[in-house]
Amino acid sequence: MKMKNKYYLLFVLMLVLGLALAACTSAGGDEPAGEPAAAVEEPAAAVEEPAAAVEEPAAAVEEPAAAEEPAAAEEPAAAEEPAAAFEPISVAAENCDYGGKISSIEAVDELTVQFNLCKPDPAFLAKVAFTPFGIQPAEWLAETGGTGELLEHPIGTGPYMVQEWVRGDSVIYQRFDDYWGEPAFAETAVLRWNQEGAARLIELQAGTADYITNVSPDDFATVEADPNLVLLPNASPNILYLAMTNTFAPFDNQMVRQAVAMGIDRQRIVDNFYPAGSEVASHFTPCSIPGGCEGDPWYDFDPEAARALLAEAGFPDGFETAIYYRDVFRSYLPEPSLVAVEFQTQLRDNMGIEAEVVVMESGEFIAESTDGNLDGFYLLGWGADYPHVTNFLDFHFSAQNPQFGDPFPEIYGVLEEASQIADAATAAPLYEQANNAIRELVPMVPIAHGASAHAALASLGNAYVPPFGATQFYKLDPGKDTLVFMQNNEPISLYCADETDGESLRPCQQVVETLLEYADDSGATVPELATSCEGNEDATVWTCQLREGVLFHDGSSFDANDVVASWAVGIDAANENHVGNTGGFDYFSYLWDGLINAPE
Amino acid sequence: MTPVAQIPDDNIADIQDYKANSLWRLTLRRIFRQRSAMVGMSILLVIALLAIFAPVLAPYDPTDVLIGKEDGIKKRQPPCIHLLGCDEDQPQHFLGIDGNVRDVYSRMLYGARVSLQIGFVVVTVASVSGTILGALAGYAGGWVDNLIMRIMDIFLAFPFLLLAISIVFVLGPGLINAMLAISIVSMPAYARVVRAAVLSIRETDYVEASRALGASDFEILLKRILPNAIPPLIVLVTLGVATAILDTAALSFLGLGAQPPLPEWGTMLGSERNQLFSAPHLVFVPGVAISMTVLAFNLLGDGIRDALDPRLVHAGVKTE
Repeated sequence: MKMKNKYYLLFVLMLVLGLALAACTSAGGDEPAGEPAAAVEEPAAAVEEPAAAVEEPAAAVEEPAAAEEPAAAEEPAAAEEPAAAFEPISVAAENCDYGGKISSIEAVDELTVQFNLCKPDPAFLAKVAFTPFGIQPAEWLAETGGTGELLEHPIGTGPYMVQEWVRGDSVIYQRFDDYWGEPAFAETAVLRWNQEGAARLIELQAGTADYITNVSPDDFATVEADPNLVLLPNASPNILYLAMTNTFAPFDNQMVRQAVAMGIDRQRIVDNFYPAGSEVASHFTPCSIPGGCEGDPWYDFDPEAARALLAEAGFPDGFETAIYYRDVFRSYLPEPSLVAVEFQTQLRDNMGIEAEVVVMESGEFIAESTDGNLDGFYLLGWGADYPHVTNFLDFHFSAQNPQFGDPFPEIYGVLEEASQIADAATAAPLYEQANNAIRELVPMVPIAHGASAHAALASLGNAYVPPFGATQFYKLDPGKDTLVFMQNNEPISLYCADETDGESLRPCQQVVETLLEYADDSGATVPELATSCEGNEDATVWTCQLREGVLFHDGSSFDANDVVASWAVGIDAANENHVGNTGGFDYFSYLWDGLINAPE
Repeated sequence: MTPVAQIPDDNIADIQDYKANSLWRLTLRRIFRQRSAMVGMSILLVIALLAIFAPVLAPYDPTDVLIGKEDGIKKRQPPCIHLLGCDEDQPQHFLGIDGNVRDVYSRMLYGARVSLQIGFVVVTVASVSGTILGALAGYAGGWVDNLIMRIMDIFLAFPFLLLAISIVFVLGPGLINAMLAISIVSMPAYARVVRAAVLSIRETDYVEASRALGASDFEILLKRILPNAIPPLIVLVTLGVATAILDTAALSFLGLGAQPPLPEWGTMLGSERNQLFSAPHLVFVPGVAISMTVLAFNLLGDGIRDALDPRLVHAGVKTE
């Protein structure tokens, strides 16, 4: 009996000790223990993958460097040897029959990259300046296999490098001292986020944030009245649309979609839920985009006609469905939950459609909606990335995009034709045709072009909002060591070749640079990593001269092979690093009319 | 054993009758004597009346969007009460207008209905299932007891709201599912209390006597043990209504409970949480309503507990 008691005592003692130990270690000891293990696994993966690529004859990347890369992964010292001669790489489609625009991208010499297109693309420069086409070191892409660590730690040439992404809290940036351009003012930049407009404003008022995005419409006056704050109106064109996926009943019925197009009182939504300066959308593309609103304006609000159409389609009493949305403040949708309920009310009152309001997590919502998996209405919008119609129409209505269900040939056929014409006046009749087809087929209902504004402390130097792209942290001068920038939501990942979300593109843009960039005050492109990009006469061959002496955050130097490798990962579906976060690489696919070697 | 004095049969009935009445009457008297319990009861009475007469009292339909139905109406207008100097030309809105341009006062009244329903449904489901499980565990003992109570322990090991959120996540958001989740999560508390009571009552002399007289297990459990296990349960139930309302409101606040356009206080609070400074009435009113209801149930529950607790009887009587 005594022995037994002793054992119990020992057991209890060990349990208490164990609990105490567990309590102490979980506080901070976990991470260092976990990382070396992960680091050990990765080189192994990197070694295996090139081998896989050899077996794959279909892979279009001609990679003489492939033989080098496993060696680089095994012996990091080898990569730094300057003696290695430059061996240009390229990525090419077998031929142009795959339908896309990119024929090949090749490194001509160390500082020259040539893009050969299958079809002319007058918007080439505007597209190339866009953050998803940012350049990362070829070695880093190979080492990470295009996912994993790459999603959290992009390595770029930008003025800031990612120090740490504290999930659920912040992304911390450190100034990159070897930056080729003007160095950043603040040594540390902290990107934080809060979904609540009120909470963001409180942080700004308290001085714990230097810059906040998207002031709530109700708070515009508060910010303007406060001498310590400045309101920064955002000139970026945008669109909110009510989308329907035509692969789900009853949205497969064109009459149902047309009924919804007429049955929503869009003026009422803009009047009641949008700040001053917003307008009802007459077309999908805002009229501030050149050639954006050719063709007939959208249907007038007519609930009787809508009900008649619904009855004709076989739904005299409406039907039951859902309205999906994410509760994230966007300039095109300042109050998501209110507007969702307003749609619910209007659908019920005007057409007898009973819709349940379903709020989804942001990343899941983007993935599900853009893959065309949502069986009801969904509320999504678009902010301009570059000032060209293709950014609105070609992205959404291209043959590759399944977000509205089966793409409409009546729309994408015309768009593909139009996107090859450089002269706006010549392209105008085609865009008129496309817009009229959208109006007729109603893949979605364009609702509003929202006005929005950011705000900053009055003491923050150079506070600005560019019309395209994101505010660059390095241009902001907080007058102290740390800049705190607050946006609406956590980034989904920091590998922006595979992101479309503006809340992800902004943090990427601080780190990773593109060949060109947009000017601070217009949509014009100015040199970034390329000192110049010249097109030939018919806009099918573009040659970019790269900047000399640019260093990546890992100390390696930037050359033409990095450009080709970064593009190859995105544009070539057979590339071994074409993994990303979701693997969609939407911008590569939609802006260049499809990926090379895309799976059927 | 000393021989018991002979008492005529009908007198036994009298004595039992008298005792049964006096216990409940005494308890009730003690409750009435406590000021806090009385405050709780009166608040509840007011809320209940508001809920019952909501259709009469509410000037608007709770889901009716007033855009275009009244001139110059804007979202999130502050309250307009003629008596307090609001312009006579404007229609009265006692508690203002919400973000979707609906009358907040009407929504609050109907919201009282929803909240009370939630409280009672959740507590009924939780207490009935908890009582059955607890009684079974306590009375049967052995492996049955072990099995049931270990499962209950697992439930209790999770943080209350976290478990509820995960259950809702599995079932899908919605008011019914939120209520079910809160019921499941609060069930172990009832099971524990009932089991403890059953364990102690099981060993009492009158249960032994019943068994000796040949009563079946079922009969003993239902007629002898459970009625005596009720007092602690009543306390728990009263306090449970409060937590049920609060937790369902919390789930609704997070968007997992009541779905729009249903006027539920938690949803109303949640959807306007951003307007704390620009339209405080939209956050303040449902917040106060939730806390008043919860406070009322808590005061009442405390009062009942004090009244039923034999150890507090003397203290309670003395101070009153």
